[in-house]
Amino acid sequence: MSAKSFRLLSIALVLVFLFTACGQAAPATGSTNAKVNMTFWWWAESDAPGADAWMTETVAAYKLIKPNVTIDIVPQSTDTLISAFQSAVTANSGPDLASQWATGPTLGFVWQNAVLPVSDYVPAAEMKNWLNTNENTYNGKVWGASMYLIGIEIMYNKAMFTQAGVTPPASGRWTWTDFLAACAKLKAAGITPFVAGDKDGYNGAWWFSHVGMQSLDSTEDLRQAIIGNKDFSDPHYTGWYAALDDMVKKGYFNQDVMSLDLSQGAQAFSQGKGAMAWGTDGMIKQALTDLGGDSKVGVMRTPTYGTGKLADAGNATQSTTFFITKWAKNPQEAANFLIFMHSPDRLASWYKHTGVIAADARFDRTLVTDPVLQQMMQWETTGTQIWLENFLPGQVDSDADLAAGQEIFSQSGSPADVAALWQRSTSTWRNQHPDELTNWKNWQQ
Amino acid sequence: MPEKKPSSVAGSTSRKIEPYLYLAPATIFVILIFLYPIVDIIRTSLLQNNPNGIKTFGFTNYTLVFQDPVFWQALGNNGKLLLSVPILTVLSLLVAILLFEHVRGWLVYRGIIFMPYILAVPVVGTTFVYLLGLNGIVNTLLHAAGLGFLVQDWLGSVKWVLPSISVVIIYREMGFGVVLFLARLMSLEKEILEAAEIDGANFWQKHVYVTLPQLSGVIEFFVVVELITMLSWVFAYVFTMTGGGPGFASTVMEFYIWKHAFAFRSPGIASSLAVVLLAVTTVLIVLQLRLRRRSLEEPA
Repeated sequence: MSAKSFRLLSIALVLVFLFTACGQAAPATGSTNAKVNMTFWWWAESDAPGADAWMTETVAAYKLIKPNVTIDIVPQSTDTLISAFQSAVTANSGPDLASQWATGPTLGFVWQNAVLPVSDYVPAAEMKNWLNTNENTYNGKVWGASMYLIGIEIMYNKAMFTQAGVTPPASGRWTWTDFLAACAKLKAAGITPFVAGDKDGYNGAWWFSHVGMQSLDSTEDLRQAIIGNKDFSDPHYTGWYAALDDMVKKGYFNQDVMSLDLSQGAQAFSQGKGAMAWGTDGMIKQALTDLGGDSKVGVMRTPTYGTGKLADAGNATQSTTFFITKWAKNPQEAANFLIFMHSPDRLASWYKHTGVIAADARFDRTLVTDPVLQQMMQWETTGTQIWLENFLPGQVDSDADLAAGQEIFSQSGSPADVAALWQRSTSTWRNQHPDELTNWKNWQQ
Repeated sequence: MPEKKPSSVAGSTSRKIEPYLYLAPATIFVILIFLYPIVDIIRTSLLQNNPNGIKTFGFTNYTLVFQDPVFWQALGNNGKLLLSVPILTVLSLLVAILLFEHVRGWLVYRGIIFMPYILAVPVVGTTFVYLLGLNGIVNTLLHAAGLGFLVQDWLGSVKWVLPSISVVIIYREMGFGVVLFLARLMSLEKEILEAAEIDGANFWQKHVYVTLPQLSGVIEFFVVVELITMLSWVFAYVFTMTGGGPGFASTVMEFYIWKHAFAFRSPGIASSLAVVLLAVTTVLIVLQLRLRRRSLEEPA
């Protein structure tokens, strides 16, 4: 080959390369009409009944404005939400968009390089409207989109309170002493004070996120115990289990608490089987429907137990995070769909389908007309919001948080036993996951 | 010795190779399906995490597993489930013998008893969740029968959860045992049983001294299969009925392996747990093979 021929061939190859590169980059701008097929592993229905129907409608609406984009929604199961995506990571093959519980579970996949930062694809002007993005912020980037806010407070049966001579807190919140006094009155009146289900362990985790949080000063306070700088058996972290144990021993919970799972516990409240229960916005909405509206059902915040700086913090969380995976064939188009999910029409439709408020500053608050749900919305969007369970490694959540609650509710472990369980389980996690521990040590909260 | 012609040497070589060529596809299949996963699990169990994210080879995962109290509790729970094997075996034998005696409607009973075995375990597990809840059907019936003092939170109490799971496993596995024993009973020579009856043996004497010795081979086989089941095939029961709780009261090895592999993102720990379970199960498989060989050597 002559030098001239070689040069011509080289130029031709460079041009071919440039054209090819341009051809690949073009879809990322979203300006092409090339066909795009995306798969979205979707989970929200358990949190917000109606979410699946909303997503079906949203995909159809997106198809109208982007006929070239086809989105295949694959609903995920609660039991396998983490494990299914972990399998995808192991196989290095997965969907374009996925769902995961916020903070710890999501960041766990970020640290496995399976997630793309959504803030690299969504304009800051858009993202400033998304609420609770701090739940998935790491290294200065936001790694997932929020869609809705779930708050959990105590719902109460007004008729049962009246029957037992219990007056709801005027300020919306009792002291712990007032709370126990009310439980005693209800029990004396033959009413189960608090109905719950902890067969799956999540009710215990809710007590941790509400009452356990109140002794802490920050999530950093918790992180210090997770990484081993503080001791979980210190009453500062686990002393509150004595209060829960005291309630169980006094018979303030339904006897079948270990036969019911979390949602069955809430259903028991809706069936009038107890005076109080934890409720998400969706559960409260259901109870309002079942028991006869806001004249029958009220809400109050968790009684004041601790004196830490987080004692007054709210607990609203985006619960589920939607993120772009590293396998996304067209990350920009995936981000465009997340942006579309936050368009005003979609936000309004979301509330219409689910009754759960959207995690977006542009959400039309006048859509919420029920005074009980308006009260919930106010609590969920005012002040610091932390769902403490999100700040635990998955293994610690499972082997300490969930298991400890079950041991207290089933009375198979004492408060001292479960405090030791927390310390032991966290220590086991640190030993078994030195690589994850490094990430947790580097995670400045 | 006459020198072989090259062509006959080549023919001889090809004849020697030929059987191996026929065997090759099956051998490759076995290696891919059985051997490769085992080798890969052992390899993964030796890969340990490090703070810098780089994996190195060693036995750290095994050390960590043996230091984990939940591992010992899970292994202990499997051990407790093994205790249900004798109950399962005796019950299966009793029912099989009763059916063998051609009680009225025995064909119908055989079908009914075998039916749970063909149901998927999650179906059985989910059904029993509703039956065994504190306000479930079992306790409701106990109350109705004036036996309220027997009411328990069968799946929600640490004390009762494993026995309750054992009962469900026995309920399902008994169908297999009954059909297995009944098949062997049907092949027994009737003359021997008739001779025992003529000699004055009653029902129990006939079956204890004549029938059971002839069933020894199949009983041994069933016991070993069920031992392996209790160690390695109870995940679906635990997953659907209790999720391993309360606390870790019903956590078994398989369930703990699953949690580490998929929920806790620790394939190394999961693999080392799997290798330990494999080792225990292998001992039982070797035992089974020895027993089967012995039963085959028994005179007809």
